[in-house]
Amino acid sequence: MGVMDGILEGAKVAFSFQGILFVLMGVFLGTIIGMLPGLGPITAIGVMIPISYGMDPNMALVMMAGIYYGAIFGGSTSSILLNAPGVAGTVATAFDGYPMAQQGKAGKALAIAAVSSFVGGTVGVIFLMLFAPLLASVAISFGPPEYFALMLLALTAIASLSEGSTIKALISGTLGFMVAMIGIDGQTGTSRFTFGSASLLSGIDFLVIALGIFALAEVFKLIITRNESDSGPNKNIGSIRITKSEMKEMSGPMSRQSVLGFLIGVLPGAGATIASFIAYITEKKIAKNPEEFGKGSIKGLTAPETANNAATSGAFVPLLSLGIPGSGTTAVLLGALMVMGIQPGPMLFTEKPDLFWGVIISMYIGNIFLLILNLPLIPYISKLLNIPRPMLISLVTIFCLIGVYGISFNTFDLYLLLAFGIIGYLLRLVSFPAAPFILAFILGEMIEQSVRKSLTISNGSFMIFLERPITLAFLIITVLSLALPPLLGMRKKIKSIE
Amino acid sequence: MLSSQNKKVSLFLIVLGVVFVIMSVRLPKYPLVPVDADAVPIILGCLLIFLSILLFFIKDEPKDGEDSGQSEPFFNADRKMILLFGGLILLYIIFLEWLGFLLTTALFIFTSTFALGYKKHVTNIVVAIAIPIAFYYLFNYVLKISLPKGILPF
Repeated sequence: MGVMDGILEGAKVAFSFQGILFVLMGVFLGTIIGMLPGLGPITAIGVMIPISYGMDPNMALVMMAGIYYGAIFGGSTSSILLNAPGVAGTVATAFDGYPMAQQGKAGKALAIAAVSSFVGGTVGVIFLMLFAPLLASVAISFGPPEYFALMLLALTAIASLSEGSTIKALISGTLGFMVAMIGIDGQTGTSRFTFGSASLLSGIDFLVIALGIFALAEVFKLIITRNESDSGPNKNIGSIRITKSEMKEMSGPMSRQSVLGFLIGVLPGAGATIASFIAYITEKKIAKNPEEFGKGSIKGLTAPETANNAATSGAFVPLLSLGIPGSGTTAVLLGALMVMGIQPGPMLFTEKPDLFWGVIISMYIGNIFLLILNLPLIPYISKLLNIPRPMLISLVTIFCLIGVYGISFNTFDLYLLLAFGIIGYLLRLVSFPAAPFILAFILGEMIEQSVRKSLTISNGSFMIFLERPITLAFLIITVLSLALPPLLGMRKKIKSIE
Repeated sequence: MLSSQNKKVSLFLIVLGVVFVIMSVRLPKYPLVPVDADAVPIILGCLLIFLSILLFFIKDEPKDGEDSGQSEPFFNADRKMILLFGGLILLYIIFLEWLGFLLTTALFIFTSTFALGYKKHVTNIVVAIAIPIAFYYLFNYVLKISLPKGILPF
C-alpha cells in the first residue's frame, strides 16, 4: 500500500464522527487538566487510560494525543492569567504573558498564545507527516543492537538535558530501571525481586508508576501549596483582538520557532519545556529591543508558545516511527498503547496505516478545535481555576485510585500506588527529576531484552555493538552526551582560574 | 559528616544498591542462556552504587526557601498534613472492597476536603455525594468496569 492510500485510510479515521468527537474530547479535557496548576499532561493521560480500555485503539490514541497537546495549550492559560504554569512547558509563557495580563491585556495575551500555539502545532504536524515515515523506513532495518543503543541514548539524553543535576537524573533513571526488573524474566522465567508475592509476578503496572510518581506526588505537593493565595483570574480580560502590526511582529518568531521547536521535540530527552526556553532565549538574543522582554513583549510570548506546541508534534516522531519515547509524557503514551495491545514502531506505518495516519491527521483537526476553544471560550473555561484546592486534591486522588483499581481490581496495586506516590514525593523533596524514572521504567524491560537478544545473536560477544555502524554511532553519541557537558564545565573552570 | 542532604541520600542509595546486588547475585542460574536473568540487575545495582558515590561528593544546591533552616521540626504542619492525607488514602484502600465504592469515596472526599481546610460544608457534602454517584454510574454502566459494590445493594 502506498503512502497516499495510508493517508486516505487515516483521513477516514480522523474525519469519522467518532474521530472528531474523541479529538474534541481529548483537546477539551487536555486544556482543562493542563490549566489546573500542578497537573500536567502525564497526569491527564494517566487518568484517562482506564476510561480508554474498551475503546477502539485508533480512537483512544487520537484522544490521548489530543490530551497531550491540549494540555500544553491549556497550560498557557494559567501561565498568563495566574502566573502559575499548569505544565512545565509553559513556564516561559508566563515571562511575558503575565505582565501583559497585568497591563489589562490578558485577552490579547491569550489570543496571541492561541494563535502561536496553533501555528506551532500545525507546522509541527506537517513536519511530523514528512519525517515520521522517512524515519520509519530507515528504522525497519534496525535489529536488537540498534534498538538497545537508541534506547540507551534516549535515557542518557533525558538525564543530561533535564533541569538540575545530571547525576541526580541518572540515579532517578537507574531507580526506574531497577523497578522495571521486578517480576518474571521474559527469557528464563526467573521471578525477580517479587518477595514471594504473586501480585508482583507480572511486574508493576506502568499506570501505578505513572499515577504514583507523577499524579499522586503532585497531589502531595499541592497539599503544601494549597494555601498560597491565588486571587483567581482577573475578571476583566480585555479585548482578544490582534492588530495587523502585532501579527507582523509575531510572524518572525512564529516561523523560526515552529521549525526549531519541532527539531528539539524530535530529539530524545528534549521536549516542550526545553524547546520553549530555547525559543525565548534565542528570540531575546536576536531581538532589536531585548529590554522589552519580560515586560509584556509580544515576541517574548509568541516564541515559547510556538515552540512548545511544535515540540509536542516533534515528540511523536520517535514514538510513532521507532516506538521509542523520548520524554516522560510520550513514555506514558507508549505505555497506554501497549495496554491496548499496540506496539508502535517502524511496522506501525505499514501494518496499521489507519492508526499511524489517523493520529497525525486528527492533530490538524485538534489544533483547529483548540484555536476555536481557546479564542472565544477561554474566559469561561478559566473559571475552573477557581476550584478550591482542597476539593481539587481530593478529587484528583480519587481519580488516581479508581484508575489503578479499574485495571487490576486488586487492592494490592492501590497500596503500591500509595507507596510510589510517597517515593515520588520524596524524590521531589531531594530534587531528583521524575521524568527519567518513568522513561527508564518503561524502556527498562525493552532495553534488557534487546541487550540479551543481541548477545544471543552474537553468541555472547560484545563486538556486535561495535561492528554495526548505526549501533556504534548511537553509542558514541550516548557517551558524548554524558561526557561532554562535565568536560566543558571543567574547561570553563580551568579558564576562569587562569 | 552527614550535614548535607546529598550525603544522606547518597548513603541510603548505596545501601539500596548493595542490597539490590546481593539479591541479584542470589537469583537462580540458568546455564543455557548467554546472558542470565541476574546480569542486568547486577549492572544496575553497581551503577546505582557508583552514581551514589559521585553524589556523595557533590555539594547541595542552594535551597529556594522551601524547607530550609535546621531549626524547624522535621514534622512541620505541612508534613503532618501529608501524613494525615496519606493515612486517609490508606484507610480508603482498606475499606474500599468492604464498604463499597460509593460509601468509601463519599467519606473520603468529604473528610479529606474538610481536613485540608475547606470551610463550605454544604458544598463539600454535595460534591462528596454527587461525584461518587457519577463515577459509579460511568464505570459500572457506561464503561462496564465494575467497581466494588460493598454493603450497598446496588
